[in-house]
Amino acid sequence: MLLDPGMDLTLRPMRYPHFFERFRDAIKNTWTVEEVDLHSDLKDLARLSPAERHLISRLVAFFATGDTIVANNLVLNLYQHVNSPEGRLYLSRQLFEEAVHVQFYLNLLDTYVPDEAERFAAFDAIENIPSIRRKAEFCFRWIDSVFNLRELKTRDDRRAFLLNLICFAACIEGLFFYGAFAYVYFLRSRGLLNGLASGTNWVFRDESMHMAFAFDVVETVRREEPDLFDDEMRRQVSEMLAEAVDCEVQFAEDLLGQGVPGLSLTDMRAYLEHVADRRLAQLDIQPLYGSKNPFAFMELQDVQELSNFFERRVSAYQVGVTGTVTFDDDF
Amino acid sequence: MRVRKRDGSAEPVDVNKIVRAVEHWAGDLDDVDPLRVATKTISGLYDGATTDELDRLSIQTAAEMIGEEPQYSRLAARLLSGYIDKEVRGQGVASFSQAIRLGHAEGLIGDATAEFVAAAARELDDAVDLRGDLRFEYFGLRTVYDRYLLRHPVTRLVVETPQYWLLRVACGLAHDPAEAVELYRLMSSLAYLPSSPTLFNSGTRHSQMSSCYLVDSPRDELGSIYERYAQVAHLSKFAGGIGISWSRVRSRGALIRGTNGQSNGIVPFLRTLDSSVAAVNQGGRRKGAACVYLEPWHPDIEEFLELRDNTGEDARRTHNLNLANWIPDEFMRRVEADDVWSLFDPDELPELPDLWGEEFDALYRAAERDGRYVRQVRARDLYGKMMRTLAQTGNGWMTFKDASNRLCNQTAEPGDVVHLSNLCTEIIEVSSDTETAVCNLGSVNLAAHLAGGDIDWERLRATVGTAVTFLDRVIDINYYPSEQAAASNPRWRPVGLGVMGLQDVFFALRLPFDSPAAKELSTRVAEEIYLTALETSAGLAERFGAHPAYDRTRVARGDLQPDLWGVTVTQTERWAALRERIAAHGVRNSLLIAIAPTATIASIAGCYECIEPQVSNLFKRETLSGEFLQINTALVGELKARGLWTQEIRDAIKRAEGSVQGIGELPAELRELYRTAWELPQRALIDLAAARAPYIDQSQSLNLFMSAPSIGKLSSMYLHAWKSGLKTTYYLRSRPATRIQQATVAVARQAVPVEDAVACSLENPESCEACQ
Repeated sequence: MLLDPGMDLTLRPMRYPHFFERFRDAIKNTWTVEEVDLHSDLKDLARLSPAERHLISRLVAFFATGDTIVANNLVLNLYQHVNSPEGRLYLSRQLFEEAVHVQFYLNLLDTYVPDEAERFAAFDAIENIPSIRRKAEFCFRWIDSVFNLRELKTRDDRRAFLLNLICFAACIEGLFFYGAFAYVYFLRSRGLLNGLASGTNWVFRDESMHMAFAFDVVETVRREEPDLFDDEMRRQVSEMLAEAVDCEVQFAEDLLGQGVPGLSLTDMRAYLEHVADRRLAQLDIQPLYGSKNPFAFMELQDVQELSNFFERRVSAYQVGVTGTVTFDDDF
Repeated sequence: MRVRKRDGSAEPVDVNKIVRAVEHWAGDLDDVDPLRVATKTISGLYDGATTDELDRLSIQTAAEMIGEEPQYSRLAARLLSGYIDKEVRGQGVASFSQAIRLGHAEGLIGDATAEFVAAAARELDDAVDLRGDLRFEYFGLRTVYDRYLLRHPVTRLVVETPQYWLLRVACGLAHDPAEAVELYRLMSSLAYLPSSPTLFNSGTRHSQMSSCYLVDSPRDELGSIYERYAQVAHLSKFAGGIGISWSRVRSRGALIRGTNGQSNGIVPFLRTLDSSVAAVNQGGRRKGAACVYLEPWHPDIEEFLELRDNTGEDARRTHNLNLANWIPDEFMRRVEADDVWSLFDPDELPELPDLWGEEFDALYRAAERDGRYVRQVRARDLYGKMMRTLAQTGNGWMTFKDASNRLCNQTAEPGDVVHLSNLCTEIIEVSSDTETAVCNLGSVNLAAHLAGGDIDWERLRATVGTAVTFLDRVIDINYYPSEQAAASNPRWRPVGLGVMGLQDVFFALRLPFDSPAAKELSTRVAEEIYLTALETSAGLAERFGAHPAYDRTRVARGDLQPDLWGVTVTQTERWAALRERIAAHGVRNSLLIAIAPTATIASIAGCYECIEPQVSNLFKRETLSGEFLQINTALVGELKARGLWTQEIRDAIKRAEGSVQGIGELPAELRELYRTAWELPQRALIDLAAARAPYIDQSQSLNLFMSAPSIGKLSSMYLHAWKSGLKTTYYLRSRPATRIQQATVAVARQAVPVEDAVACSLENPESCEACQ
């Protein structure tokens, strides 16, 4: 079984081909930080209102450390327990992507925050910005919860592992990051910070895959060991998401405190609750809030994009295209 | 909740007041709900917001409801139109002539246009169509507001309304007020729009109105290379798109006699070009853009094809340049025959860029026999690399040197050679070291020429006549940023009239894109436009004389574009009469027709781009102004008529990324009609383009679409394009391997395929991992 302790090295026959498919799809999405042009953002930053600038400075401070935390958990808590070589291939790839995200946000902060002292403060946000500190503490608590587990021997071990996995997929990547993306997309829907938005688009695409893979693992474990995921666990997951929503709402209060037209705190709270309900639905758990998505600009993220090539870089290409020259293929 | 008024006082937000304001604009829009717009606007507001923020938020809120009801697009456009009006009037401008006076005083409007308007102020003020803005969709008007209207140099407020803007553009091109009003009415009806540089700059102090420049390759020496950088920078500054060849510059490892060193090849020079292009932004509106053309016999061709890769050494990448292959037929023949292909250094064989057809083949083969090549490769390997570049970057456009020269009106005399196409692959004109080809463009909106289930041919002819007259006018008024451009354009007087909204026409007439009737109609439209354009140009020649280089053209020898293709025209009498007129007086323009991509002007006109099929029934446009939901209103109309425009169907379309193929409730013939570019056979796009090509004397920006490209599919597709005789193709559009998880459609428990590790799936061996 997937969570049985060990170091399975056998790729043929392959036990979990869909993990391998995700690995291959992820490779096609390869992008590099150098492709993101942040230049035009500087002009936008200069014309933002003070309230919007405050929003951005808090947001990038969160980005400065968010992906590093996820990467650490992956290495310290996930990789050793997902005992499938194809699953580990995906996790290795995910780790690379997290590193690219870290590099992207590093580049972003270096560009956005030219003042060195201010920049150092941004990277130190966990220490000096309470709304970010609270989110980080939430993460650390869940990292610590399985940190000392060398092997998942008992039922309790496995449940603890699942909770950690769900926390990172549903709460951190699936809610904290999704919340952060909403701010970026709000700005982009107003034509602001295109560089940040195009980088975020690629980050978001990767994060969507990470979350989907984690939920794949959860589902696989549930199928293999149905008794792990009982009512007690459902209760724990609901509680965890409710706490994550609280953390994120507190963050929103900080970000939106000065008033940003089109992005009210009421709407942001409803959005976060809506996203939390979706995560629960994906895990087959009753919704907590019943809130609807209030943000029409998020609908824009659900449809195909078409850009003018001369205005922005197009993100719709794949790498690793294969095949040989022939002249009788259908097209 | 309170709002702050302009005078600084605060008052409580009044939902009824917003409702009344929205109702005022809603008018005949039956399916919009002013109360919902008002309550949603207030829900997004914060305490103490300004009334200006409230106004802007209500526009944005209406725009965000387009996904459930397309009429909100019109509503948002009207709210925006009112907002712009307030902004202009707030500066004491109450009429067109006052706007021009203010613009002139602020150094924006040119002297000639200011005088022209002052002399006919009353007549021009009266010509402004007060209801003109009602024709805009939100995305179009928003684009106009953000990018086209002139802004006060200090306050950055717009100093003209959308209608003033179009009238200003017309006045910049007209000789008398009646002419100006005629052109203004045509543009205001959105039946025709000139290209962006004309819309940006006409009537201003910088009347650079051409879209495209085709710069011949620098000579194989340092001075010439640096002269080209300077020329490109100047052309770019005033919003021109650049095509530039690099085929004459020696390759990596070639000897430099002056220093007895070896050349580093073209890549480092292209890096410099890349930086230079990025540094010069087009009048502050967008980054400069250029496309580099290279012939495939150049020894650096493989490194050239990697310039846009996102992996590898960044010192050998150019992220801003576009790339195009300028391909002789001999290469394609070798690919087909699976033969070798020899790479020659331009230092060794400097004649190659100036030869095409049999002369090229003869020299190429002789040099090959003599072993003068740098190295040889398998032609198919190189072709495969070209396909890989297209698949992974969309770049590396396939453009065909021999067809472009054989079928060009300007190449009748030896020495007149087409060396490259332009940034968007629709311009085919001769160029040389001392002449940079120039073209100014405009496009007819076919969607605005529909009447009674057919094209309104009479109206189309009238539009083309006016369009060609004013495209020709640009040549004389235009400001030329380089002496090479100023040297070429007055001799050849080329213009490029194109079309947009072909897909709208097919939807309205219910013609599937790949149906024989669609091909027939699109070809007839092309014939009508080319024929009328030639008639107009012949008329101009009767008044002003043929263009100076007329004697060097194929038209002067009696060969019009359909003759070069060997096709039979349908309007035989008109063609015969035209030939007589041309024989007597020639034509004013060496080239007339080019189908440009129309990315921005189609948005303004609210129609589908040029000759392209729709990319999706529901998608968003990402532009410098933000993101805009675009919905197929023809489809929405059909769904509404069947009572199918429901949340469930909307979600289903969204889940399918804008496809309706899974909507079983929709009759099969409508599903067929509303296929997207990804669902159409690409062969049909190529065949439609080839069928109209005999009436396109320049070329077409032909994008091709493939969701999951493979080398096999691409190599088959581009071989077909070449065999069809097309001069050029443009981007390969493709899609990401996975997408962002959708946030606004219903979700269910994550599904995981049931694993059956050792079973072999013989039905679907490609996707089966079990025994590979």
